[in-house]
Amino acid sequence: MTTHPAADQATDQAPDGVLRPHAEQAFAGELAALAAADDRPRPPRWRLSPWAVTTYLLGGTLADGTVISPKYVGRRRLMEVAVASLATDRALLLLGVPGTAKTWVSEHLAAAISGDSTLLVQGTAGTPEESLRYGWNYARLLAEGPSRGALVPSPVMRAMESGAIARIEELTRIPADVQDALISLLSEKTMPVPELDTEVQARPGFNVVATANNRDKGVNDLSSALQRRFTTVVLPLPDTLAEEVDIVRTRVASLSTGLALPADVAHADEVARVVQVFRELRSGSTDDQRTALRSPTATLSTAEAISVVVNGATLAAHFGDGRVGADDVAASLVGAVVKDPLQDRIVWQEYLETVVRDRREWADLYRACRDLD
Amino acid sequence: MTSTEDVAGAAEAGPLLRRAGVHVLGVRHHGPGSARSVLAALEELAPDAVVIEGPPELDVLAAHAGDPDLVPPVAGLVYVADEPRRASFYPMADFSPEWVALRWAVARGLPVRFADLPATHAFALASQAEAEGEDAVPPPPRSRARLDPLAVLAETAGYDDPERWWEDAVEHRSATAGSALEAFDAVAEAMAEVRALESEQDPAANPENDRREAAMRRVLREVAAAHEVVAVVCGAYHAPALRQGAWPTKTADARTLAKLPRVKVTATWAPWSAGRLARGSGYGAGVTSPGWYQHLFAAWRDGTDVVAGWLARVARELREEGIDAPPASVVDTVRAAEALAALRSRPSVGLPELTDATTAVLCGGSELPMRLVHERLVVGSDLGSVPERVPQTPLAQDLARQQRAVRLKPSATPQTLVLDLRRENQRARSLLLHRLRLLGVHWGEEVDSTGTGTFRETWELAWEPGLAVAVVEAGLHGTTVLDAATAKVVEEAAGAGDLGALGRLVEQCLVAELPEALPAVVDALAALTVRAHDTLALLRAVEPLARTRRYGDVRGSETERVAGVLRTVTLRACVGLRASAASLDDEAAADLRAAVDSAHRGLALLAGDTAAELGPAWTQALGSVAGDDRVHGSVSGRACRLLLDGGHLDAGEAAARMGRRLSRAAPAPAGAAWLDGFLDGDALLLLHDEVLLGLVDAWVAGVSDEVFEDLLPLLRRTFSRYQPAERRQLGTRLRRGPAAPTAGDALDALVDLETGLPPALAVAALLGIPLRRTPTLQEAPTRQEADA
Repeated sequence: MTTHPAADQATDQAPDGVLRPHAEQAFAGELAALAAADDRPRPPRWRLSPWAVTTYLLGGTLADGTVISPKYVGRRRLMEVAVASLATDRALLLLGVPGTAKTWVSEHLAAAISGDSTLLVQGTAGTPEESLRYGWNYARLLAEGPSRGALVPSPVMRAMESGAIARIEELTRIPADVQDALISLLSEKTMPVPELDTEVQARPGFNVVATANNRDKGVNDLSSALQRRFTTVVLPLPDTLAEEVDIVRTRVASLSTGLALPADVAHADEVARVVQVFRELRSGSTDDQRTALRSPTATLSTAEAISVVVNGATLAAHFGDGRVGADDVAASLVGAVVKDPLQDRIVWQEYLETVVRDRREWADLYRACRDLD
Repeated sequence: MTSTEDVAGAAEAGPLLRRAGVHVLGVRHHGPGSARSVLAALEELAPDAVVIEGPPELDVLAAHAGDPDLVPPVAGLVYVADEPRRASFYPMADFSPEWVALRWAVARGLPVRFADLPATHAFALASQAEAEGEDAVPPPPRSRARLDPLAVLAETAGYDDPERWWEDAVEHRSATAGSALEAFDAVAEAMAEVRALESEQDPAANPENDRREAAMRRVLREVAAAHEVVAVVCGAYHAPALRQGAWPTKTADARTLAKLPRVKVTATWAPWSAGRLARGSGYGAGVTSPGWYQHLFAAWRDGTDVVAGWLARVARELREEGIDAPPASVVDTVRAAEALAALRSRPSVGLPELTDATTAVLCGGSELPMRLVHERLVVGSDLGSVPERVPQTPLAQDLARQQRAVRLKPSATPQTLVLDLRRENQRARSLLLHRLRLLGVHWGEEVDSTGTGTFRETWELAWEPGLAVAVVEAGLHGTTVLDAATAKVVEEAAGAGDLGALGRLVEQCLVAELPEALPAVVDALAALTVRAHDTLALLRAVEPLARTRRYGDVRGSETERVAGVLRTVTLRACVGLRASAASLDDEAAADLRAAVDSAHRGLALLAGDTAAELGPAWTQALGSVAGDDRVHGSVSGRACRLLLDGGHLDAGEAAARMGRRLSRAAPAPAGAAWLDGFLDGDALLLLHDEVLLGLVDAWVAGVSDEVFEDLLPLLRRTFSRYQPAERRQLGTRLRRGPAAPTAGDALDALVDLETGLPPALAVAALLGIPLRRTPTLQEAPTRQEADA
């Protein structure tokens, strides 16, 4: 098998003209099969039972033979805790460094539970309170005065009204005073609208899945009051090389589809090599634990490995022979590692000369990287 | 359940008919659910006698189980009488089915018997196997089913973890679900299937298990002949073999058990700890979470809520660690744990769910806080206790008496004890600890005291239940701690062939206050000294002997003989020192240097006649080594330094020797070794002796580049021993160049003699230097004037 099943399915059902379809569109077939096979009790307004949601995330084979592709490769325990938390009306916070599939998991959770992953707030330093509560259509506000028609509900408010999952991305990037709007919302599950002398009460099924990058500590750290309202699940970096290679391959394959690249452009060996370079530099020692290495300042997350491979795939498809080789990944690989032109360059040179050079089967990569200098 | 009604009907029709015979309750060792089911089954069955898996040697201990002072966790301890190190433990906690059955029967005055292969045979067989060990063919690898029959059952039920399967299928089933007896029947049946499968896959005989089960049946036959209804509590694996219908003939079992070897064994109760029950400690039948099991069992017994009770305890422990765990979050944790259990299709909330929920809700996704409380909660620090009425070795009784006398209670939690030896009670504690250590009962380890003074000792105490074995073993030496320690030291002294070891024993006699052992050790030492030709060993014996001589007076021991031996040892060492310092390689030189240092430390402690006699001899011996250029640099450098510090060598001579040693003609590594020996230790000498510093400086500056590079590691080692502050001072001093002429004057100007005099006098008085106030006052200005 050269591509991941998840990616195959994505090709089948992606609507035309969209770079990246939503999870509930890409995996509609799997969701439907699960819903049909699922005979366990479902919490109010859940499309699937907690068991089926977990199966959707972790993959498996249903009684009728339908194969559910794994969306999350990693510890089963973490997904179980995440789903169980949502089933008990507690908001969920997914923490992790870039590339640990936080957003991916949150999207699939929303898709599996509410069938809708679009009630989304993308957190930034400029996110105003209106994005979490509600805003006004000023033209209508001036014309009609305060009315329900002039009110612009936020995704969170819409989720409350429909009893669905609201997603908040990059929670720690949102200013602390805006974050505070969530505190009483999460405990009271109501949103008062004093202008209209009314309130929106959440319907069963409403919940919040937030994601945050725990390398970005200090951006806008969560207050303890808010932290208490979230069940926190820390998504770790993949445990093994094989797991990480698998993740990168899956994601590269699905991205390649969107970019109209040949699906098998990134073959497994090249992906494995890039991932190994990343893991070795990140952990500060070679895979066989024989040689200690210095680590660069770059995070070297899985997400960056994915982008290095995609970059290489694009180069190979448009300018090369159609297969990703050392020449195609070298440039973006060096770019990903060397973030600080002084310190990181030394680290990278050391790695190149002491590790890459000694691996005979890596001679092409060594040459390609040397040619760049 | 229809079968439940059947049971009820049968019971009504003719309870005696239904119940008569042997009923096998197959359990999981240390399973709280098994314990609960056993209790229910016993109530239902009302047996006339109870049989528990365990060697029959434990029978004598059964009566003590009713004693309220026998607090679990305890272990039935069976040991070979002549060789207590070879011992088996049968640990029982509150939640162990064996313990529950034992207490239940004893409380009702019912007879209790233990059934297994008698330990007398088991030990003998084991030592036989050990003796044959080298010739014997390694046993063929066993089938997985035999190694872990439960894993096969669990796999069949679709579980990956056998423990979890047992918990779900047997232990977590609520007591109302049906007859407890019925559950045990089902377990036995399932296990019978496993065993059938096992013998199919691996038909090879398992003589060990056959013997054990034959022995169990032998006991069962006896008990069943005397009693109508018998309950048997045993590991589930044995259940099918013990069912009355499945018994082979009496003759067959007798044949299996014929002509087994025997050894003499003794049994007693020993206190056990929760930590020992945990699997981490290396006991096969252990459990990973005794604290959790204890909680489960207690909650079931008292009818309290398992989940809420556990999480309340977790929250309390977390708060102790400074993590706020508000009640509202605890409520959420309870709900999350329950949702997780439902998601995992488990019939009730287990420890994994509780831990996951706590980590996610209370600890913000971090596993660190839970690790902090793991020891205290999941493992627990329960320590059992055994009343004195239980037959113990006389030594153990004496130990218990002494522990009470000095008010030092054994505890599993490590604690630090600082003892001030000037106080009677604390000195008694120190003695007890020292004596126990001599006996191999390592209850406490002495660690370095932070304070100064020889009257203080710091101990790290932790009573490991395994120490019970050591206590039994120590009992071979005597009946009281004092006698045993004395006997052990005398025995060791007779067997020791090394002066150093004897020297240490002398010191041990002193700190453990074993006056009766001292003569024997000193005799052995004296005898050995006559024969000993090894100067190194003689040197090493000096320090402990000197300490004994010095502090023995303080502690009131008789040390005259020690002084005699010390004199002989020292004089012989002095005579042999120069000869032993000839042609040494680097390693031997380092050994000798260390020995010289230790002897010097020891001799410095002496006072009075001994010092007056030995001091000059030692100085002379050092001088012979220091002045000879053929002696290894490391040793002679050290000797020079010791002489210099003692005032027996003037600085000019030292400088001359250094110049000679470090001159170009001498090989550079030898010069560096000399420097290393000479500068070892205090930097003050170098800081304050301008001449020496200049010499060293000139040598380092003058040495050729290649040679310097060769020497750099050694030099660096020498200088890195100094404190950073001292090195900095040295650097400053060197950068400034030769001492500025004004330095001395400036110093004098800074010294206020009027203010400084009283403390100086006080110090002089403390050191015993006779100084009178008036002449000093007059003398000081005179000298100053002279200098100026």
